Amino acid sequence: MSALLVAHRAAFGYQRRPVIAGVELEIARGDFLGIVGPNGAGKTTLFRGLLGLIPPLEGSVRRETRAIGYVPQRETLDPIYPVTVEEVVQMGAYGKLRGWRGLSSAARVRAQECLERVGLADRRRDAFSSLSGGQRQRVLIARALMDEPELMLLDEPTSGVDRGAQARILELLVELNRSRGMAILLVSHQLSMVRDTVQRVLWVAEGKVRVGAAAEMLAPENLDRLYAASGTTRSASEEL
Amino acid sequence: MDGLDGVSWADRLSLFRWAIAAALFAGAVYPLLGTFLHVRRTSFYGIALPQFATAGMVCGFAVLPWWIDTIGLAGLDLSAATSDSHAAMNYHLAWAALFTFGGLALLLWLGQRGGGSEVGRVAAAFAIASAATVLFGRISPVGKGFVDELIAGELLGVGVHEFETIAVVLGLSALAFWLFHRDLLLASYDRETALVLGKRVLAFEGLLVGVTGAMVSVGAMALGPILLFGLLVLPPIAARAWAKSMTGYLLLSSAFGVAAAVLGVVASFELDLPMGAAITACAALLALPGAIRGRRAA
Repeated sequence: MSALLVAHRAAFGYQRRPVIAGVELEIARGDFLGIVGPNGAGKTTLFRGLLGLIPPLEGSVRRETRAIGYVPQRETLDPIYPVTVEEVVQMGAYGKLRGWRGLSSAARVRAQECLERVGLADRRRDAFSSLSGGQRQRVLIARALMDEPELMLLDEPTSGVDRGAQARILELLVELNRSRGMAILLVSHQLSMVRDTVQRVLWVAEGKVRVGAAAEMLAPENLDRLYAASGTTRSASEEL
Repeated sequence: MDGLDGVSWADRLSLFRWAIAAALFAGAVYPLLGTFLHVRRTSFYGIALPQFATAGMVCGFAVLPWWIDTIGLAGLDLSAATSDSHAAMNYHLAWAALFTFGGLALLLWLGQRGGGSEVGRVAAAFAIASAATVLFGRISPVGKGFVDELIAGELLGVGVHEFETIAVVLGLSALAFWLFHRDLLLASYDRETALVLGKRVLAFEGLLVGVTGAMVSVGAMALGPILLFGLLVLPPIAARAWAKSMTGYLLLSSAFGVAAAVLGVVASFELDLPMGAAITACAALLALPGAIRGRRAA
């Protein structure tokens, strides 16, 4: 199976100081991975590095596909913008806009399809800020689907939403992964959710990344060992 | 405006056509920039930057005698250089632009370094620019008189030269907003997604800085800071409570700006008020219903 993203001896950090080093990773079609680890260990740094938002300080990151979908944390989007649900989804097609050319009718149809896919087609005219946290997250997933991605990266997709909304988001991600073979990489501090959903885990601690099967790495006895080895304790949200 | 009591509206429109056209043009285009400043939470730039531009113009007047003696200004003497000519206007515009872009660069640099609040930095910048305006004005009485007129917000002196400059700068700016409003929106709303989608975010941020500097420089010189304060800040506030989408927000802001300009022109003629200040006062009145609606919604 051909790789979509390959990191080789990659180090990521800020102002030439590495936070994470020696990252060896290959993501292929159909993979479902989660980045977990103690608070402040460098999960976000690794995520941003793999996404291409920060360049590797050492080693390399090769993205073999241009069809990458990105779902940011919804709290980063300022509610002062009076954008509609439809406008947010259509932003996913802005990467292909050139100069004076407006949005194509195909892109508008595609936006409608993506909204239908996440079950929010009837809310397209509503203000994005008027939706619940879970609904906003699904709109951002619809936006990431606009470019028909082979690989989707999500930053804390289920953080701060109720259990019902969390289940709907995960159901959607699992469906995208299984039916379309879309590779998915998500960052989360919700260990039980990650263990029950993803195939492989990237455990980030002490400036290193360990990769392993989710069920095995996040088993309670192994988890205690991982936290002890990193000299940290679990926060309430990280309890299994 | 006692002298206009017996003058018909047709004659007023003919006599002051450049001033009225400039006011309407400004009413349509400045709120577009103000909308982007508002959603980027940099509305205070709409207050500080025109003051920087004004300080730059007065500084230009202060150094004008030295400039004419040592560098020269298209062969003009000091008296001619203070009159309405393209060469003199370009000279003042250059000073306004120098101070505006300088102030903008300073605010952006301080913002990137972090520390303190954005509002505090902009308030300090406004205070410094205001003090500089007064101090340069003390050095140059001619400049002070020119700026006093600007600060009073009297637009009737806008002639064909000023209108041509406004039309070119605002026309190009409106074109840039029309062409790139989606890119500017994405780069402002969700910078990281814009980068992932391959957008040249720095180029669009640079475009917004360039448009801001150019519009503020030319506006402060030809229309005065009062009108800029009003049109950059108030129509976006007026429109925000009614806007249902970002495209609608831009169009509604522009519509509120044009409405304020029309009402302000009529009020200035009918009530003998300086046109710039009258337009700003009308923009404030138009913003009231939106402010009340926004408060109730909150």
